[in-house]
Amino acid sequence: MCTNFVNNQFFTINSKNNFITFIYRHSDSINMAEIKAKTEEKSSCLDTIARSPLYVGLAIGILAAFVQVLLISAGGPEAYGFCVACHTRDVVNVAVNDIAGTKLAVAAISQNAILPVLTVIGVLIGAFVSARYYQEFRAKTGNAVSYIWYLLGGILFMIFALFMGGCPYRMGLRIGYGDVVALIGVIAIIAGVLIGIKIATKLAEREG
Amino acid sequence: MAAAGWLTKDVAVIAVPLVTLLLGLLIGWLGQRSGFCSIGGFRDFFMFRHTRLLFGYIALIVGAFIGYLVFWLITPTAFENFFWLLGKGLMPVPGAPAGLTVAAYIVLAVVGGIAVGLIGVMLGGCPLRQVVMTSEGNIKSLWFVIGMCIGSVVFAAWVSGWGVALLKAVGVA
Repeated sequence: MCTNFVNNQFFTINSKNNFITFIYRHSDSINMAEIKAKTEEKSSCLDTIARSPLYVGLAIGILAAFVQVLLISAGGPEAYGFCVACHTRDVVNVAVNDIAGTKLAVAAISQNAILPVLTVIGVLIGAFVSARYYQEFRAKTGNAVSYIWYLLGGILFMIFALFMGGCPYRMGLRIGYGDVVALIGVIAIIAGVLIGIKIATKLAEREG
Repeated sequence: MAAAGWLTKDVAVIAVPLVTLLLGLLIGWLGQRSGFCSIGGFRDFFMFRHTRLLFGYIALIVGAFIGYLVFWLITPTAFENFFWLLGKGLMPVPGAPAGLTVAAYIVLAVVGGIAVGLIGVMLGGCPLRQVVMTSEGNIKSLWFVIGMCIGSVVFAAWVSGWGVALLKAVGVA
């Protein structure tokens, strides 16, 4: 049953169009050659499941609910099991509050607990161990201009995500929890993605 | 009334870092293996009609709903406001700046969502993907994560106050 779920037709596309190469040149999110190499190698059943986003998504959703049932006594808010933006905010702001004596806003759960929620630290370590273990760790550098763009992008991303009340993952959890505003937020994210694709296409045409 | 989960408050405050660290380790491993990405899912769907990552995000919503429903049936006290819409109406789950009206939260969700989608697609991924790529050795993503850390301080110290003031000045809040 679990031989090759992920033997996907994901990257059978030939990137003839400029804008496809543009997006992927600027994203590095998936290296086509790597994907091909990955699907060819033989892998364990557990790893096959881990490589399928469908099961990973299900697992994240259920685990987030499990974390809430375990830890909600420490403090709210609800539907807070997993969020990259908010949990980064909690770690950073608790650290800044402790060092500089400021009173930056953090979630109640991180305020009450002995240490804030460490999910993002866990993701960093877990992904690093996994990348090392499967020999997918590769240093990828950019130029100074791209670093500045990514830095600015990170700052703006965080600000707008916190205005919205969470990153796309927490929006998903909130939809599962029954929050209509989160649904509006996800629809707005889709609109933003469409605008982004349009802009990237324009830029790619201009670059030629 | 304070919500009560499986652990009592005294235990939970100690367990928070440990449990979330373990959760993060697991999600980091899964995220690295699957290339899980929410914004990437929308991008791949609209550009190539590829549904692999998109179904992952939809599965997250479904999984969250199933998880909340099952655990709510087991321990209702841990999910006081489930199903949120039935108890609280349109008011969102806390997270965004507190004390605003529903209209203001909708404005924030629309503006924030468009900006998040736009930035995410231009820089190649949602925050989880950026964190995972940092662990895979991508220096550009490392700068994104550093930007997120700076952004959280900037937001809490100044920008959230400005945003709320702006909304009040316009008359939505």
